[in-house]
Amino acid sequence: MSQTIAEKILAKKAGVAKVSPGQIVDAYPDLVMSHTATWRSVSVMKKIGATKLYDSKRLAIVLDHISPAKTEKYAADQRTSRNFAREYGIEKFYDIDAGIAHLVLMEHGHVRPGDLIVGTDSHCTIYGALGALGTGIGYTEVTSVWVTGKLWMRVPSTIKVTLSGRFSPGVSAKDLMLYLIGTLGADGCGYRSVEFYGSALSEMSVSERMTMANLAMEMGSKCAFVPPDEKTQEWLLPRLGDAASYQPVLADADAVYERSIDVDLSTLVPMVACPHQVDNTRPVTEVAGTRIDQAFLGSCANGKYEDLAVAASILKGRRIDPRVRLIVTPGSKQIMLEAMRTGVLATLMESGALVTNPGCGACAGDGGMMADGEVSLSTANRNFVGRMGSNKSSIYLSSPATLAASALRGVITDPREFV
Amino acid sequence: MNVIEKILARKSGRKIVAPGDVVVAEVDLMVMHDLSANFVMKVFENEMEAARIVDPSRLVFAFDHNFAPATREAAEALAAVRRFAAKHGIRNLFDSGCGSIHHCIMEAGLVAPGMVVIGCDSHTTIYGAIGAFATGVGNNSMAALGFVHGKGWFKVPETIRIDLHGTPGRAVQPRDISQYLVGRLGEDGAVYKAIEFAGPYIESLDVPDRALFPLQTIDVGGKCGFINPDEKTVRFVNRLLESRQTAPPFELFRNDADCRYSEVIDVDVSRIEPQVACPPTVGNVKPVEDVAGTPINVAEIGGSTGGRLSDIRTLARCLANRRVHPGVRLQVVPASRDTYLAALREGLFEILHLAGANIFPPSAGSNQAFNMGALAEDEVMISTQARNFPGRNGHPAASHFLASPLTVAASALTGRITDPRTLEDA
Repeated sequence: MSQTIAEKILAKKAGVAKVSPGQIVDAYPDLVMSHTATWRSVSVMKKIGATKLYDSKRLAIVLDHISPAKTEKYAADQRTSRNFAREYGIEKFYDIDAGIAHLVLMEHGHVRPGDLIVGTDSHCTIYGALGALGTGIGYTEVTSVWVTGKLWMRVPSTIKVTLSGRFSPGVSAKDLMLYLIGTLGADGCGYRSVEFYGSALSEMSVSERMTMANLAMEMGSKCAFVPPDEKTQEWLLPRLGDAASYQPVLADADAVYERSIDVDLSTLVPMVACPHQVDNTRPVTEVAGTRIDQAFLGSCANGKYEDLAVAASILKGRRIDPRVRLIVTPGSKQIMLEAMRTGVLATLMESGALVTNPGCGACAGDGGMMADGEVSLSTANRNFVGRMGSNKSSIYLSSPATLAASALRGVITDPREFV
Repeated sequence: MNVIEKILARKSGRKIVAPGDVVVAEVDLMVMHDLSANFVMKVFENEMEAARIVDPSRLVFAFDHNFAPATREAAEALAAVRRFAAKHGIRNLFDSGCGSIHHCIMEAGLVAPGMVVIGCDSHTTIYGAIGAFATGVGNNSMAALGFVHGKGWFKVPETIRIDLHGTPGRAVQPRDISQYLVGRLGEDGAVYKAIEFAGPYIESLDVPDRALFPLQTIDVGGKCGFINPDEKTVRFVNRLLESRQTAPPFELFRNDADCRYSEVIDVDVSRIEPQVACPPTVGNVKPVEDVAGTPINVAEIGGSTGGRLSDIRTLARCLANRRVHPGVRLQVVPASRDTYLAALREGLFEILHLAGANIFPPSAGSNQAFNMGALAEDEVMISTQARNFPGRNGHPAASHFLASPLTVAASALTGRITDPRTLEDA
C-alpha cells in the first residue's frame, strides 16, 4: 500500500483504508496528555459548558512543569487539575512527584507502537521512540479532544533519515540531533514526519531513541519515528502488561518519502547549540572555553537514567568547578530510584551537584533561573531568550557528556578529553 | 556567672557581667541566609559609605531558601550576593544546595563553644546547644556593627532555667517537648531572657536533639537559649572540628555552681503528649488529640527543626513497606548535603521513594515557600518546620501545623493529623 508510518497510523485512527500527504482526516487519538496546563483545559471545558468526556480512559494528566507549587496561584491551579482528575475518575493521573509527563507515560506503559497521542507539549514527538505518533496541540484543542474524542489533522509527508556507522567515544544521540537541526534548520522538517532507519539504529538504546524523537521537534517535525524493533519490544513489553497490545506499525517497503538524508555517525563530533536558537549549532571545539555559571542536566530530552549515568561516569571521583552550579533533575521518579540504586545519584552529589526532585525543572524555568549576564549550559531542548530567567542570560545546549566535562572545568569543554 | 554571662564578659573584655549590663562584645561569627545576606549587603553598600568589612572570615552566607531560584528576581538577588562575597573576600559562601543554614554552618565546623554568634535569622539561637552565645539581629545592626566593627552591643539577659526530667512516653519526641514548652511559656513568655535547658532529660539527649530547645527559644521571645556543655558537647564539637585543620582551639565555658536564675521551671516530660503547633502561630500548641482527624494535603520532614538524619530515619522506619496516603504529597528535605548523602547511602531514600515520598535538595524546604511549599486556599500542611504563620506558605487562608517527625509520618500515612502513638512501631 506504499504508506509511511504516520500515514498508516492516521489512516487507522481515522477509520479509512489509506491516506495521502496533505489530506485532512478526523482522527481519534488513543491518548490525550495534558500536564501542568490541565487547569486551562478544564476552564475551557467549563466555558463551553461541556460536562462529559468522550472516554476518560484516554486522558492522561501529569503535573510536571511546576513541581511542586512555588506560589499560591500554581497551588490553586494544581488543585483544579487534581480535582478534575478525581471528579472524572482519570486513572492515568500523576501528581507533582511523578516526573516529566513524556517519560512517565512511556515508563508506565501508556504509550504503545501504533498509537496516536496528542498533548499540550510540543515534545510529544518523543512517543515516536516507541513507534507511536505523538504530536503537540494547544490546551483548547485538548478540551475539544476530551469532549469529542477526535481531532482534525493534516497528513504530513515524511522525511527518511538513514543512520550508518557508530558514534565515536564522547558523541551521542544528542550530538546527532544537534547536527541535524543545525544542518536542516529549525524549520527544516516543518510539519513533516521523520522516520529513522539504518544499520546504526539496532545498536541505539531506547533512551537514545527518545532523545532523537524528542529533538526532532526542534527541526519543525510534526512527529518522528524509530520503527519498533527487538529493543523496543524488550523495553516495552514488561511495561505494557499485556503482550497483545504490542502491535508495531511499520512503513511499507515502497512507502514514498519526500526526501532522504544519510548520516554516518562516525563522522559526527560533539555539538553545542549556541544562544539563542536551537539550530545555531557548532562543534564543541568552536565554543570550548566559554565560561558557564550553571549547568543543567535534565529534561525530557536528556533527563533519563542513561543521561545521568553518562554524566556520572565523567564526574566520578572529581569535583565540579566551584564557580559552576550543577543542577540535576531526574526525569522521573523511576529514573531517580534507579539512580539511587546504582550509585549514580551519590556520585552526582559527591561531585558537588544539586539533585532536585523529579520533573521538568529548570528546562521550563522551574527553578534554576539565571541572572543578567549569566550563562547556562543545558541538556534540554530549547535555548530561547529568557527561557531560564533573565533575557540578558544565555543558554547553550549540549549532550550530558559535554555538560559533565564542562561542569568540571567551568568552561564549555570537549567531552572527548574525558572519555 | 553562667555560660552566657561568661562568654559576654570574655568577649567584652570584662571580668564580670550581670543581667542588665550593656556590653559591646566582639562577634566571632556572623551568619546570613540568602534572603538576609541580600538585605544586609544593600544596607552596607547603600548606607555605609566607604565602610570596610573588618574581617571577612567571620562572615558566612548560606543560601538555603532558594535551592534553585524560581524567579528571575531571586536569581538576581543570589547573583548580587555572590558578587558581593567575591568583591569583599568572603570565602564562606555556601551556595544553593548546602542545606538549612544552621545545620550547614554547624557541619562545616564554623561554630565552636564560647563564641558569640549573631545571625540575621531568628533561629540563630540554635548554637546555644553547643555552648555559644548566639542570637538573631536585624539587618541594619548586622551591617553597621557586625560588618564594620565585628562587634555587637548586648544587654546581658536574665536567665530562666528549665529543668526537664522524667522519661517521655512512647512516640513522644524532643520536638514534642520543645514545642510543649513554647505553648506553656507563651510567645512572649521569656522576652529578652536567656533560657538554660537542663536536667536529666536534656542530658540524655544527643546534641542534635538538644539543639531543638535553644532553637525554639526565639518562639517564646528569648534572647538566647543554651545548654551547659558536658562531655557529649565536647565530643560532638571535636568531631565537627576534625574536618577543619585550621580551627583554633575553643574555650569551653561552664556554669558556676552558684549562678542565679530569674526563674526555675520544673517540667516532668513523662506527662507530655505529642504536641502540634496549630495555625496561625507557633505558640498555639495543643496535644495532638485535639486536632487529630484534620485532613492534610502536604506533609514535610525538613527545615531547621527537621530534616536531620535521625528525622529521616524515623520517617523511613514508619514508612517502610507502606504507602503514603494517596491524598498526601510527602516532601523530604534533608537538612544538609552530608545528611542527604548519608540518607542516600543508608538506603533511606529508596524506602521513602517506594513509599511515595518526594526527595528534595538540601535546603530550608518549604520555609517561606521559595522553591516549594506554596499551598492553595484551604490546603493543609503538617511539617517539622519551625514556623506556621498565615501567608508564609502560599495562600493566607491555608493552614500549617507543626509537629514531630513521628506525627508527620503517622499523618502522611493516614491523610489526617494522626496521633503517632497509634503507629505500631513508633
